[in-house]
Amino acid sequence: MSQQVVAQENILELRDVTVSFGMNRGVSKVLDDVSIDIHRGEILGVVGESGSGKSMLASALLDAVVDPGTVDGEVSYRTDSGETVDILDLEDEELRQLRWEEIAMVFQGAMSFFNPTMKIRGHFLETLKAHDQDVDEGMEHARELLTDLHLEPDRVFDTFPHELSGGMKQRALIALSLILEPNVLVMDEPTAALDLLMQRSILTLLDDLQEKYDLTIVFITHDLPLVKDLCDRIAVMYAFDVMEVFPAGDLSNSTHPYTRSLLNAVPNLTTSLDELRSIEGSAPDPVDIPSGCSYHPRCPLSTPECEQEDPPLEEIAPDQEVACWHHEKVDEELPLALETSDGGSAEVYEGNQSDEPVVVMDDIEVHFETDDGGLLSLFDDPEIVRAVDGVDLEIYENDVVAIVGESGCGKTTFGKTAVGLQEPTGGSVRYRGQDIWETKRGEGTGDRSYDEIRRALQIIHQDPGSSLNPNRKVSSILQVPMKSWQSDLDVEDRKARLLAMLEAAGMSPPEDYADRYPHQLSGGEKQRVALIRALLMNPDLILADEAVSALDVSMRVDMMDLMLTLQDLFDTSYLFISHNLTNARYLAGRAGGRIAVMYLGEIIEIGPAEEIVQNPQHPYTQALHWSTTDLDSNSEGEADESPIRAIDVPDPIDPPSGCRFHPRCPEAREVCATEKPSLDSGTDHCTACFREYSEDHPYWDSEPLGEETIGAHVGGESS
Amino acid sequence: MNGRWLLKRIGMSLLVVWSTITLTFALIRLMPGSPISRMRAELYQQYGATMTQAEIDRQVRLYLNVQPDEPLWQQYITYLLDTFQGDLGHSYVQGIEVTVILADVLPWTVLLLSIAIMFQYTIGILLGASMAYAEGSRFDFLSTSVSTFLVSVPFYVFAFLLIFFFVFQWDLFPQGGKYSTGLEAGSLAFYRSVLYHATLPIVSLVITGFGGIALSMRANSIQTLGSDYIRGAQLRGLSNFRISYRYVARNAILPLYTGLLIQIGFLFGGAVILEQIFSYRGIGYVLLDATLYRDYPLMMGTFMVITIAVVVGVFVADLTYGKLDPRIQTGDSQ
Repeated sequence: MSQQVVAQENILELRDVTVSFGMNRGVSKVLDDVSIDIHRGEILGVVGESGSGKSMLASALLDAVVDPGTVDGEVSYRTDSGETVDILDLEDEELRQLRWEEIAMVFQGAMSFFNPTMKIRGHFLETLKAHDQDVDEGMEHARELLTDLHLEPDRVFDTFPHELSGGMKQRALIALSLILEPNVLVMDEPTAALDLLMQRSILTLLDDLQEKYDLTIVFITHDLPLVKDLCDRIAVMYAFDVMEVFPAGDLSNSTHPYTRSLLNAVPNLTTSLDELRSIEGSAPDPVDIPSGCSYHPRCPLSTPECEQEDPPLEEIAPDQEVACWHHEKVDEELPLALETSDGGSAEVYEGNQSDEPVVVMDDIEVHFETDDGGLLSLFDDPEIVRAVDGVDLEIYENDVVAIVGESGCGKTTFGKTAVGLQEPTGGSVRYRGQDIWETKRGEGTGDRSYDEIRRALQIIHQDPGSSLNPNRKVSSILQVPMKSWQSDLDVEDRKARLLAMLEAAGMSPPEDYADRYPHQLSGGEKQRVALIRALLMNPDLILADEAVSALDVSMRVDMMDLMLTLQDLFDTSYLFISHNLTNARYLAGRAGGRIAVMYLGEIIEIGPAEEIVQNPQHPYTQALHWSTTDLDSNSEGEADESPIRAIDVPDPIDPPSGCRFHPRCPEAREVCATEKPSLDSGTDHCTACFREYSEDHPYWDSEPLGEETIGAHVGGESS
Repeated sequence: MNGRWLLKRIGMSLLVVWSTITLTFALIRLMPGSPISRMRAELYQQYGATMTQAEIDRQVRLYLNVQPDEPLWQQYITYLLDTFQGDLGHSYVQGIEVTVILADVLPWTVLLLSIAIMFQYTIGILLGASMAYAEGSRFDFLSTSVSTFLVSVPFYVFAFLLIFFFVFQWDLFPQGGKYSTGLEAGSLAFYRSVLYHATLPIVSLVITGFGGIALSMRANSIQTLGSDYIRGAQLRGLSNFRISYRYVARNAILPLYTGLLIQIGFLFGGAVILEQIFSYRGIGYVLLDATLYRDYPLMMGTFMVITIAVVVGVFVADLTYGKLDPRIQTGDSQ
């Protein structure tokens, strides 16, 4: 093989890299002739939907494709001394040294990357020893890295992986990947499992690290808006190949129809809600990639030329390449929705809520006891986690209330309490005026039975895969609710009804879908079945717990549209739980509903969806808003400053005094540490913050909190 | 692990022990042809003329820890207190205290079982791990078949085979006993003789026991090998040796620990048959003897000691599980 010399400005060059797996159905090409250059010192974003081959690209860079996959082509690496190495040709020992010392990798699930039976310190030590590094010096470097990532080295070293929160674990993993001072860091969906706010905080830190340690970063993600500000260039992958590469600063630089459609399908905070369109069709099977341009079956611009010949990646501007025959026409035919929309003046829909509340929650408290501590705490009182601490909420008919907050803020517990699945330790939950838990205990005065109430309050779980019985067909899964609640229907009626529902949910031909098992459905389809199953109970309120979070970006809008359509048909209300302000905005905004922001067991701001999104009052809501990247901003390659002062959520066992947000709040003053603001009521838009109080409130005369006061309060999660 | 949980756990263990004591008490009192009336009849037959009723009762109490003329609840409390003080009554076949007999035989059973368990697990874990590494190879296939076969052979069948060949055909090992007579206790020759006599019983347990452990170790290891942290460790350039013992073995062993608990109880039960076959006077041997001779105090004392041994074994394993797997917070409310 003729060894090419890697150009000066590049650190990695890929030429015709193909990864294939032999399968029963034929050879499956999960990476198809990819050629791309990675510049020294840049952050390259690789964006694609699930199953587009982007993770394979990451593995190929380290020649770490799992068996029985095979990699062909050339992956050339230019060392510091200017030599060129073909990574795919290296001997085992050379490869072992190259990995981590030159190119390191951060995997998707930090949760499972650490050995569960070894402390974090051990992971650092063994890596240093395996590469014959000076251990003391290396550990000093590790401390510095952890400190850079806002972790306390001594505390983190002495913990087992499961004792760290997801965000902390991910940051510890980034530190571990940089311990040998590599030149290139490959990150495969490093933040996908985390909250948006944590994702953005980590991205901000990455930006600093990249500068400090002079790194080249390949950042692989499905979330284009997320990395837009971080990256220098973005490569878009579709059907196992790179479709285009463009400078990240301005998304209107993108010239491939797929990128445009993808961007128009992503919910965000500025695009008018009507402009969002999902992409028709689905991504191709790796065994059977369409001839010509692999995107042509779904492309609105496709012509016969596209079906016959695969367009090569051609350079159309500096740093910009695209593989499309029609890229000149893209601006005309597929304009970016966010450019055409008139900014923030999105239309507010009139909700058709009644005045009669379906579920009323009054001063709800849910406290859990935990047992934590060693033998010495023999006679200590058990610790109390205040998952929900004094929350009021009324949900009306045909209402949509979206609860937004970071993980661990108590939003799921609160949701379960609302639908009567979790008994509150204080306060009351009433369904149409009747206390649910009193009814269950037989003490109630109302005339509804507990079973009736139970039927009226349904739930859709986060993970569609595990909420459907894998051993039953869709038709029998969906018949269960009808059998128990509409026993007058005979088999034929039930059948006809469920087919009609499947059809209405866009799963056609319905006969085909009814006959499938859950594993034969895609994630989106499973979630639809779960939604139909809940709706067949004819409920008044459905708790949708992160119901779209597990779906691909382009599927989310579809799913939420379906939820809204069916809401009209079935007269139901949704309590929608999400960590993502954009999803909340989409669902609640379209139905004229409300968004409630939760922090450490309390609602700190609630109001009409658009109002919360466009005009957030509480500093925490503002931080959540910051975490949702503004597609429209054209800031150049720099992730802007984080608006929160501490990255990790405090321990809910011992929440901060006064306003619970004060240790992280950029606006906190001394009074915030001692007094607690209440959620003002009366208006539509309520905020629990002293800044909303009148000007004679002591807040305005109080001293701003200094840095040293903050450190003392921030404990971080311990479990 | 925390205090409340520990107290609860100790409470549960005590409850099991208490139920055992109560059950044995109920057995004595309620069994048709109860030990009490049987003993009275015997005493009456023997010394009928010379012994007063009160004296017979005193004898009964001495042997059975029961005062026949007291009300039932009083007898129960006396029995309970005596038992908790370690007084298990007198064997009326041998005429000495039950505790003395048990203290004499228990160490021998513990010796057999602990060596057997140690070998079972060592061989099982090593073999299982190698099978996982060579998954799909001839070695894997053969070992799996052999393990499956051996685990389905009952140990006493195997024990008979061992005796037939090694004792009667080839005369390599003694047929029974715990050590050769005439050796000075504590001397090297004595210990060698002890091991020599224990060999066959241990072998019969080990050969029929390691297969199951190897098979589950194989399954656990294969699962562990597929996890992300193994891939991460490989990318970080750790040596294969370190990955295999610190990553694969360390994590694959965890589920076996639960099996160990069940094994302890199972082996104590099996000791009854095993010790009979090899005429090995351990606790199982004594238990069977006591049952055959209707030596109720000894039988019940043995029964109780076995229960307590299992309870303590499980308790210790529970306490240490958290040390082995840091993710298990012993006593977590979930």
